[in-house]
Amino acid sequence: MRILAIDTSAGTSVALIDEAGRSLGEFDSPDIMRHAETIGHGIQQVLDSAGVQAKQVDAVAVGRGPAPFTGLRVGLAAALMFGVGRGIPVYGVVSHDAIALAELDGVLDAAAGVPADTSSGADQNLLVLTDARRKEVYWSLYRRALDGGQPVRLEGPGVQTLASLQADLADRQVSYLEAAAACRAANLARVLLTQLAAGNASEDVTALYLRAPDAVPAKPKQVSS
Amino acid sequence: MTIENTSLKLPAGVALRLASLTDLDAIMVLEHDCFAAEAWSRQNMEAELTEPHTYYLVLHDAEGAILGYAGLSKLSSSDQSDVQTIAVSPSQRGQGFGKILMRALLDEAVARHAKECFLEVRADNPVAESLYRTLGFEQIDVRKNYYRPSGVDALVMRLDLRRYAPVVLGIETSCDETGIGIVRGNQLLANVISSSMDEHARFGGVVPEIAARAHLEALRPTMAKALEEAKLTLDDIDAIAVTNGPGLGGALMVGVGAAKALAVATGKPIYAVNHLVGHVGVDVLERGELEVPTIALLVSGGHTSLLLVRDLLDDVELLGETIDDAAGEAFDKVARVLGLKYPGGPEIDRAAADGDPRAIRFPRGLSLPKDMAEHRYDFSFSGLKTAVARHVEVAEASGQSYSKADVAASFREAVVDVLLTKAVNACLDHNVPRLLLGGGVVANRRLREVAAEQCEKHGIELRIPAFSLCTDNGAMIAALGAQLIMAGRDPSSLGFSADSTLAVTDVQSL
Repeated sequence: MRILAIDTSAGTSVALIDEAGRSLGEFDSPDIMRHAETIGHGIQQVLDSAGVQAKQVDAVAVGRGPAPFTGLRVGLAAALMFGVGRGIPVYGVVSHDAIALAELDGVLDAAAGVPADTSSGADQNLLVLTDARRKEVYWSLYRRALDGGQPVRLEGPGVQTLASLQADLADRQVSYLEAAAACRAANLARVLLTQLAAGNASEDVTALYLRAPDAVPAKPKQVSS
Repeated sequence: MTIENTSLKLPAGVALRLASLTDLDAIMVLEHDCFAAEAWSRQNMEAELTEPHTYYLVLHDAEGAILGYAGLSKLSSSDQSDVQTIAVSPSQRGQGFGKILMRALLDEAVARHAKECFLEVRADNPVAESLYRTLGFEQIDVRKNYYRPSGVDALVMRLDLRRYAPVVLGIETSCDETGIGIVRGNQLLANVISSSMDEHARFGGVVPEIAARAHLEALRPTMAKALEEAKLTLDDIDAIAVTNGPGLGGALMVGVGAAKALAVATGKPIYAVNHLVGHVGVDVLERGELEVPTIALLVSGGHTSLLLVRDLLDDVELLGETIDDAAGEAFDKVARVLGLKYPGGPEIDRAAADGDPRAIRFPRGLSLPKDMAEHRYDFSFSGLKTAVARHVEVAEASGQSYSKADVAASFREAVVDVLLTKAVNACLDHNVPRLLLGGGVVANRRLREVAAEQCEKHGIELRIPAFSLCTDNGAMIAALGAQLIMAGRDPSSLGFSADSTLAVTDVQSL
């Protein structure tokens, strides 16, 4: 089983992994302005470096965001059409889940549960933060341990100012460690592997913009003084 | 019997039909005229005409006299086809009849799912060889002393039919229409459009973010419908074409990302093509080829452009364009002033039906002598829109009623007047007797009327493609991609960008 993963919630990230979660090839460009230029080469390079032909790919994992509009859509459009082109399923994964997996995998042994935190005794959660522009952040709150290898999202994803988010979490006495990283496609595919194993993978590929389009209903303007 | 499987346009006075045994006598006369000592025997020709895997055509005049004939062979078990023979009466040469016969055979070869076509031509017949080369045949071998008794060599030539009539899937997402079209060469196979127009209605114009979101959602269903309409699978597609500009940046990026991934997934070549040139190239789907030179007037909610096209792939010049609002945008904005719905074009057409187009003399943008020096082919509709709004406000402020019908008719007349005056000027100035219209505003009835009147008055041939090919669509993108392939152009690389301000001179982005 080979999964092609595509995420454009930050830069352009493409990866191919096998059924054991091993990376067969990865492409990462941090450029947040050139998704449309980069995506074709990104996919081709990953396949070439893995020595795998497109027809040997079995499934596609795509990051649904949250992310600002324009770049996110490039990855989603590409993933959808790769799936159509090969006649294989396309699964949507919340990009924050992949960031959480990277943070929690290895940090904590899932089987051992949550270790006591000696510093505060209360850091039971992981807060994933990514840039939402307009002085806001996208956030998701996770349990600080994996469950059956899967990150457990408790709240989010949401979008608001960091200050208001922090105030809200403080009010509710929620303690957390912060993780601010870009989503890597290889981790997206690993999240999908755990979901496929657990039977909760989803073909919902709706983009998570979390904001309405900027548009106001038109009103005629006065032109004469 | 009439001929199927070809979109050939024949000159007046000649026609094609399937050959039958009743033509054998006439064919044998021509056979001897054309091939003398190398002519086939009557027996051989009779066998050729009756074989199940052959396809013989005769070209005849109005009286039924046979001017030429040609035959193709295609075994159902093979991907290959062969041109068996072709002959045009010596007195009828130099009129393009050979090319007509050849194209009809090749169209049939494509319809019979041949992938290649072969032929032999005498090494001392440069006229025939040149005809075959223009159709895309390439020499692959020489057979020494092939023709008997003369001993002349035969050149063996081969045509890749996927280049003669490539099946191309085109993706268009430059504005608010997700268009996916499929063509085979110059033949339209599918044209499916999913529009987000209704979602923009309450905003009075296209909202780029709403359009881009809608493209993403429409991609898969539109693709599925297009393949279904063409009765094809992705395996049947030879190449992918995509609009990479000009248009709305975020909207273009959806199509570009989709097309690139589809190309990598299927291993098909990709062609990045220009949206505006696509509006011109669409004419090949109705007429077989684009007659050049031609002036093209492209009018939509996003563009108002006048082009001089000397060659579809190599010489497209922007003569002028709007310096502010597009014509379609002006219709939308004036509709709003008049309390009419979006999109404004059809609403204004309706309101104007009972109005007097001469009731109010609204300004004609960039039409004064001083403007014509610098902006002879440019357009401006912003001042016109403001003049309409002022007219309505003044009437309302003074408590007078005004005729919505007269305002709509007078406004429409001003827009149409400027568009056609400048387009006809472009034709006359450049001595180009052809005008091609494109873009959604072509739906406007008054525009079509005035275009027909003006073109007739000035001896200009007017071309208006079917409306489904005038609005933004994927078929025009596929058609332009097919033209590039048929001209032997290399595909684009995977690195091209979505360019919202792509110049018309960039017909293909590499």
